[in-house]
Amino acid sequence: MLKNYIITALRNLWRNKFFSFINIFGLSIGISCCMLIFLYAKDEVSFDRFHEKKDQIYRVVAEIRSPDGKVNKESSTGMAQGPRFDANIPEIEDAVRMELTDFHIKQGSEVIEQSALFVDDRFFSFFSFPLLYGDPKTALQDPHSVVLSEDLARRYFGKADAIGKTLQMKAGEDFEPFVVSAVVKNPPANSSIKTDMLVSMKFQEARQEGNLFWMNFYLNTFVTLKKGADLQKTEAAMNRVYNQEAAAQISDMAKNYGFNEKVSYHLQPLLNMHLDTDYPAENGVVSGSNPLYSYILMAITGVILLIACINFINLTVARSLKRAKEIGIRKVIGGQRKSLVLQFMGESMVLGLFAFMLAIALTFALLPLFNSLSEKALSFSYLLDGKLVLAYIGLFLLTSFLAGFYPALVLSAFKPVETLYGKFRFTGKNYLSKGLIVFQFSLTTFLIVATVIVYSQFNYLLGFDLGYDHGRVMRVKTPKMNASGYEVLKNELMANPSIQALTAQNGGQWRTIAHVNGDVEQQFDIRGVSDNYFSFFGIPVIMGRNFSPAFPSDSISSVVVNESFVKAAGWKNPIGETVDFFYEHRKCTVIGVIRDYHYSSLLENVSPQLFSMNPQLRYKQVYLKFREGSRPQAIEHARAVLRKLYPAQPYQYDFLDDLIAENYSSEARWKQIISFAAVLTIFISCIGLFGLASLSAEKRAKEIGIRKVLGASVSVIMRNITLDFLLLVLVAACMALPLAWMAGNAWLQNYPYRISLHPFIFAGAALAVVFFALLTVSYQAIKAARSNPVRNLRTD
Amino acid sequence: MIALNHIYKYVNQGGTRVFLLRDISLNIAQGEFISIMGPSGSGKTTLLNVMGMLDEADEGEYLFLDQPVKALKEKQRSALYKQHIGFVFQAYHLIDELTVYENIETPLLYKDYKSSERSAMVCEMLDKFNMVAKKDLFPHQLSGGQQQLVGIARAIVSKPTLLLADEPTGNLNSQQGQEIMELFKKLNSEGLTIIQVTHSEKNAAYGSRIINLSDGRIEN
Ligand SMILES: Nc1ncnc2c1ncn2[C@@H]1O[C@H](COP(=O)(O)OP(=O)(O)O)[C@@H](O)[C@H]1O
Ligand SMILES: [Mg+2]
Repeated sequence: MLKNYIITALRNLWRNKFFSFINIFGLSIGISCCMLIFLYAKDEVSFDRFHEKKDQIYRVVAEIRSPDGKVNKESSTGMAQGPRFDANIPEIEDAVRMELTDFHIKQGSEVIEQSALFVDDRFFSFFSFPLLYGDPKTALQDPHSVVLSEDLARRYFGKADAIGKTLQMKAGEDFEPFVVSAVVKNPPANSSIKTDMLVSMKFQEARQEGNLFWMNFYLNTFVTLKKGADLQKTEAAMNRVYNQEAAAQISDMAKNYGFNEKVSYHLQPLLNMHLDTDYPAENGVVSGSNPLYSYILMAITGVILLIACINFINLTVARSLKRAKEIGIRKVIGGQRKSLVLQFMGESMVLGLFAFMLAIALTFALLPLFNSLSEKALSFSYLLDGKLVLAYIGLFLLTSFLAGFYPALVLSAFKPVETLYGKFRFTGKNYLSKGLIVFQFSLTTFLIVATVIVYSQFNYLLGFDLGYDHGRVMRVKTPKMNASGYEVLKNELMANPSIQALTAQNGGQWRTIAHVNGDVEQQFDIRGVSDNYFSFFGIPVIMGRNFSPAFPSDSISSVVVNESFVKAAGWKNPIGETVDFFYEHRKCTVIGVIRDYHYSSLLENVSPQLFSMNPQLRYKQVYLKFREGSRPQAIEHARAVLRKLYPAQPYQYDFLDDLIAENYSSEARWKQIISFAAVLTIFISCIGLFGLASLSAEKRAKEIGIRKVLGASVSVIMRNITLDFLLLVLVAACMALPLAWMAGNAWLQNYPYRISLHPFIFAGAALAVVFFALLTVSYQAIKAARSNPVRNLRTD
Repeated sequence: MIALNHIYKYVNQGGTRVFLLRDISLNIAQGEFISIMGPSGSGKTTLLNVMGMLDEADEGEYLFLDQPVKALKEKQRSALYKQHIGFVFQAYHLIDELTVYENIETPLLYKDYKSSERSAMVCEMLDKFNMVAKKDLFPHQLSGGQQQLVGIARAIVSKPTLLLADEPTGNLNSQQGQEIMELFKKLNSEGLTIIQVTHSEKNAAYGSRIINLSDGRIEN
């Protein structure tokens, strides 16, 4: 029996190559997307599970509550928490700190920058990172020992066994020799902790003053709890220890800096870390990810699979006319309905199997693309995992069932008297089939609108006038420089015609507070700049004046602020107002106001900003504007100059436009993902429609023949076939547009600077869907209309 | 074997009732060879379908092997006809995707015969109909007469007691038709009850009794 079914199924597939192809191809795209998303999801939930003590390891995290009730969740801690909690709380077995740092490393005549982690010496008994060479117990005992990953050892020394080799490394002022004490296996891709280079925390402790500071948050502290320890009790104990031991530091901070926030400590399970959005991955913990991404990807995949299944259902049911005779015969010669249902399910399984095999090939081919889209390093070998194989078998059964069950029910219900005596006509209203087409094209329209919105918003963000001139600007990092050091560098750099202008800035920008209007606290972002900063970036000074060498006091006691600062401080007449850096006992006068410009990403509003030439804020980067077309020369010239002036400094440069675009890398990724999804859904929906149109044309071949003989023109006939489908697609578009509008609006609320949803976007999307549908259907319609009427009339 | 008492069948068309069969009463005994004749549209196929239980009468009583068909559930009814009745059609109605051998084998598959039994039964049919050499061909590779032979072989392979044939020779030339009729005669002589619909006086004459149908009624 089974053999008979399979034979019929295979011969049927072969006989209807065209439809089999559409079905198999569409399904395989859907299945392939599912396979990729399974891989993705598996990778996401597998993060950090390879640690032996995975169920005992927690990260110490903090909730910082301001008096106004605002809660700031902080995943980092200071130096004190780990050792002090460990010493005072019996439930805590061990604590390991981990601080992210950068070393400069001498490599021949070059100096390169290398990120590394300072970790406590029990790191290797705490986490499960196996060593290739070296002893895990002693590897981090010496403050001047360094542990390299296999890859890094190869990079620096050409071989994995680098034990005993020396690296000249600089963390502070001078290069010091570090001896390789161990080589660790490269961490797996699904590790939140990357162990390229590890240096003992003892080195870092030796550089800092003796007392352990509680009140800053810049490193990760992990603890292991004893088996069976009570989590709540442990957390309560942690807060007790903090309030006791940090009391002096807290009151100190309150006195000197007006610190008035309440800190409470919690434990975050290691296994939650990767997907936790409250306590983000930072300071050496990498690749944290928002589970929302997984859900969105899953939803998109589900949609694609669904659309492929709908194709299958529609085509199978529409083609049932051709199978009706066979069904009638089988019933008359003894087939029960049950065995017919089984037969058709079996057929969809056979088809599903082909789709599945093709999907494996597709997945294999698409994996690199998917990896770059999802920023993952998924490998095909993951597919062989036992649970995943089960999931795939489940997926296969599910698709076969989804796609095969309804047609099986419909087909097996045919009455033999009707099918065998030609009374049978599958002209019923066929609401389900039409409903499915509408559903399919609603999803398609929705995704097209989504794509257009994401694209427009993305381009809007990238093309936004940020209020300053950032084209042809290169940023070069320098060591700390004072004004005279900068003069030397400037003269050297400007000597080359490729460089048009230059300005300098301190290491970065941070948020700080000062008093305004007497003792009102004001938060703002502070930057240390050189005097031509505003003219370099074309930022207009709209009130007062710019910094000027003519006023020597500028560098000590003058500041320039932006409009938002003025607004926040409530100043009517900002020039001459005082900004009191009370914790430094330094008062500054506002000499100028610049127009607000978007110095951080457009995902935020412009904040109050203050510029100073205070020499304590030493320059650590210069911006240089290169002449049109001389970018390579500028890069090379700056390299030569920096090599000459600062041979111990790695040459690091970026382009401002790239840095700005980086703010929107997540948007860029989603833009790609959603446009892929849209293209796939359009494609699958359209091949389905193509199949249906061809069946419809076939069914009406006789009618078309008669009309043609009677003198109807090709265009009239085309309109006849096309209109039915177009109507459905139009209905679909009308249903999807309001939903897309709501979803688009909701998404755009995340952006303070956003496009307004122009009706044009929606009309365009609807037109696009109709256009694609028209293109698909009209091919069949033209083919039918052009066909030879005599042949069609003969065949009946 | 078959007893029809005052059978009526009708359809409602635009409010008026159109009768397809009117007051049909008929007894057919085991071993008979009946020919049903009548002009096109007179209800021959409808009558055959009612007797074959593919269709149901609206009024009247139908006893098949002394069982009242109306009282049977759909499932029992189809079990009954599947066990006892073989069908032959004017348009042969072979499954296009299956070979001659597989077409003949299919009814046996539905009846759970063992594989060895099946091949024995199919081979017996192929032998009887001189089709051994054609067993691996597909229907479209055969002539009309050969296709009908396969159709008949498929109808009788599972040893039914009644063969219902609706214009079995309608698509064949007279030479082929005659061969089919000879075959029917032979099968009938082996004990098979046959009811056939035919337009040809000559073919009708092969039967032991002729029933004339006109406008849904039996004419005498
Ligand atoms: N389901 C039906 N609905 C309406 N009319 C039908 C139906 N089935 C058969 N008829 C009509 O009943 C008449 C008898 O049909 P049929 O038994 O096929 O005739 P025959 O086989 O003698 O040519 C024909 O006129 C046919 O059109
Ligand atoms: Mg007829």
